[in-house]
Amino acid sequence: MKKVSRRDFLHLMGVGIGGVTAAQLISGCETDHPSPTKNPEPSLTPLQPLPTSTPTPSPQSTNTQQPTPPEYPYLVITHGEDPEQHVRQGIKALGGMERFMKSGADVIIKPNICVPYHTYEYAATTNPWIVGALVKVCLEAGAKRVRVMDFPFGGSAKDSYRKSGIEEQVNAAGGEMEIMTTLKYREFDIPNAVSLQKTSVYEEILKADLLIDVPIAKNHGLAILTLGLKNLMGTILDRGAIHNDFDNRLVDLATLVRPHLTVIDAIRTLMANGPTGGNLSDVKVQNTVIFSQDTVTADSYATSLFGLLPQQLGYLVNAANRGIGRLDYQNVKIEEFNING
Amino acid sequence: MAKRSAFAHQKITNFWVTLRKISQSLALIVFLAFMIETGLDRAPHDLTNIPIRLSPLAMLSSLISSRTFLSGMTISLILLLSSLIIGRAWCGWVCPMGTVLDIFHFRKIKSVRTLPERLRAIKYGLLIVILFSAIFSNLTLLVFDPLTIFTRTMALSILPVIDQIITVIEKTLINVPFLTESIYQFDLWVRPAIFPIEPAIFQYTILNGIFFIGIILLNLLAERFWCRYICPLGALLGLFSRLSLVKRKVKDTCVQCHLCELHCPTGTIDPQKEYTSDPAECTLCMNCLKECQKKALTFSPSVSLAPRSDYDPGKRTILNAFLVSITLTALLSIDWVKRYPRNHALRPPGTDSQTLSSTCTRCGLCLKVCPTGALQINLAESEIEAAGTPVFIPRLGFCQYSCNACGQICPVGAIPPLNLSEKQNKIIGKAYINPDRCIAWSDHQTCIVCEEMCPLPQKAISLESGEFSSPTGGTITISLPVVNREICIGCGICENKCPVAGEAAIRVYTI
Repeated sequence: MKKVSRRDFLHLMGVGIGGVTAAQLISGCETDHPSPTKNPEPSLTPLQPLPTSTPTPSPQSTNTQQPTPPEYPYLVITHGEDPEQHVRQGIKALGGMERFMKSGADVIIKPNICVPYHTYEYAATTNPWIVGALVKVCLEAGAKRVRVMDFPFGGSAKDSYRKSGIEEQVNAAGGEMEIMTTLKYREFDIPNAVSLQKTSVYEEILKADLLIDVPIAKNHGLAILTLGLKNLMGTILDRGAIHNDFDNRLVDLATLVRPHLTVIDAIRTLMANGPTGGNLSDVKVQNTVIFSQDTVTADSYATSLFGLLPQQLGYLVNAANRGIGRLDYQNVKIEEFNING
Repeated sequence: MAKRSAFAHQKITNFWVTLRKISQSLALIVFLAFMIETGLDRAPHDLTNIPIRLSPLAMLSSLISSRTFLSGMTISLILLLSSLIIGRAWCGWVCPMGTVLDIFHFRKIKSVRTLPERLRAIKYGLLIVILFSAIFSNLTLLVFDPLTIFTRTMALSILPVIDQIITVIEKTLINVPFLTESIYQFDLWVRPAIFPIEPAIFQYTILNGIFFIGIILLNLLAERFWCRYICPLGALLGLFSRLSLVKRKVKDTCVQCHLCELHCPTGTIDPQKEYTSDPAECTLCMNCLKECQKKALTFSPSVSLAPRSDYDPGKRTILNAFLVSITLTALLSIDWVKRYPRNHALRPPGTDSQTLSSTCTRCGLCLKVCPTGALQINLAESEIEAAGTPVFIPRLGFCQYSCNACGQICPVGAIPPLNLSEKQNKIIGKAYINPDRCIAWSDHQTCIVCEEMCPLPQKAISLESGEFSSPTGGTITISLPVVNREICIGCGICENKCPVAGEAAIRVYTI
């Protein structure tokens, strides 16, 4: 039996401690790295050039600022049955997709594909033809690629994409369904947070040249309604963290993840037993789609489809107070279209 | 001339060994592919469960125990009947367990000591005990079926461990700027192609791994120790192989050079009996054919019954095995420790503890196929008898509302093959809220996650508003989740997603 000399022992100790330190350094890199260098600021820049996107809380001041050269509506509402016509009319009224993106842009569309339980008729997931039409419109405007993604909670993304019918329409339109792997999430600081100081966001969503938020309007126990702002929860990893102090934390998230365009699908709305649904008797056909650059305004208008006031949704009130968008949809420039004729 | 024919002969014998090795490698790859496909939702479940349906041991025991014949079981007859023609060729040419044991042969470090021949009787004893126990509806010992060992170990231990290792490497390397994109592309490929998108984590991963490694380490005592002395499937095929058409024969040109004996992986070539072998032990590996310099060996067809060996089971073995299985069945169903009723031992939809322990082959395919990792192997959750059967642990994974995969993959219908709407109406358990832990009930803060998650068309969790006096004075109104147990099916998504740390504030209990 060979004896281990004191020297050998010390060598081994050295190697061992070195190894552990190296391992800690490597794992340390992982958590330390993103926050200082990857602040959310750069991702917000694409928002600035858009003419009316900087929200102005008081209605009086907007009235005086309103006459800017190309006067686009702030809110567009379309009524009718054909989803693709909704999208074409709505985007055209807002000034065309070219207003929101340059040729060669990298576009991400975020619908609500929360569960793989039912087909779109049950109104738990966004209308697949609306998503498909948005993909088409983006590609026609010269987008380099259009990706569609969500992070379902009630089953795998693969099943949910398929069951919702969205996969089929997106592929047919020439877009890509992307599965949100945990590898692509990064922790970001939320600079002016009230409650949620940091959270892990799917980085590609912040990097996209154009982010389109396409929720379906439906009933929700906690949020009362789940609309555009609530749909942003699908972009983060730890949804559990939002459920505490929901009305503040959701708005904190909305300061970080800011869609450039919100399209609310209210063709079929789920009036009860949301967000999962499963009863056709809970579904009300409203044949309406809402378009705005301001998620808060779009959400506020959507409350009227449920016989509610925007003031009844705590997170909308908080979002308006913190300057994310406008609650007073009655006071903005609205254009409504009936696309059936 | 003679030289040339010797050369040609050498070529042919080498060819047989090479062919056997190719067959083993292909079979191992196919078995692995079956395991990888299980749960990836690309191949039909009736195809991916073939590895288990091939085992005549599992099928026969399940047939005896459940007294139910399933047409899917007939595929195992192929294997059983093949042994009447080519003996235990399955063991030498196809069995994934045997191939793994051939890979880890330890020939270089193994002790050369020979073990007593009588040990070969163990496998017959085990086989007869398994079959007798099946009569008493006890299938616990099917944990020793080599095909269930292989699938269980792959599903529970080896694939998840590789998955974890890959994940850790990916997470480290993705921070290296110039590697980010390629790691991401690799992940996009590997996740749907080889591993499930969300890696399942299993209890007892290490324990299952140790069981498998233990079997491999037995190779240190003797090559293919498992196949010689323990494997109950090998024993079953061995009994039939005694009638096998193709048998190894030694011609009188044999010069008793020992070479064949030295290279026999199952050690069945006996110098005392003119270097003949027992067809019940021979795996037709063709090593001896390759080594023999005198062309003294043939594998040729002949109708005969192999002579009895000392270790072959006799009347006495059968009687003993009968007594052992009675004792074992009784002992395994004894309540060893006086337990309080285990109302957390939930079972997959449509089945119960009793049915499972008497029909389940312990193959672990349902664990592999479950998309949320909700099914786990049972060891301590209920009676020892039910060891190796699946339990449903909601905190680790929920029963996905639109999934019925476990019943579809089960090769013996231990989990009934329910269609989706039947499964959606099967009651697994009932959820109960613990108001002392619930954020809404006890901390008076808003939390309705369980209500949100409930997948039923008419939610089994409703919100009632409750008024509490606030510490700062005045009253606050909070939405309180309440379970409607009339309609709850116990899918466990509420327990799984409950944001309370550790034990959930809402739990599913057996009914």
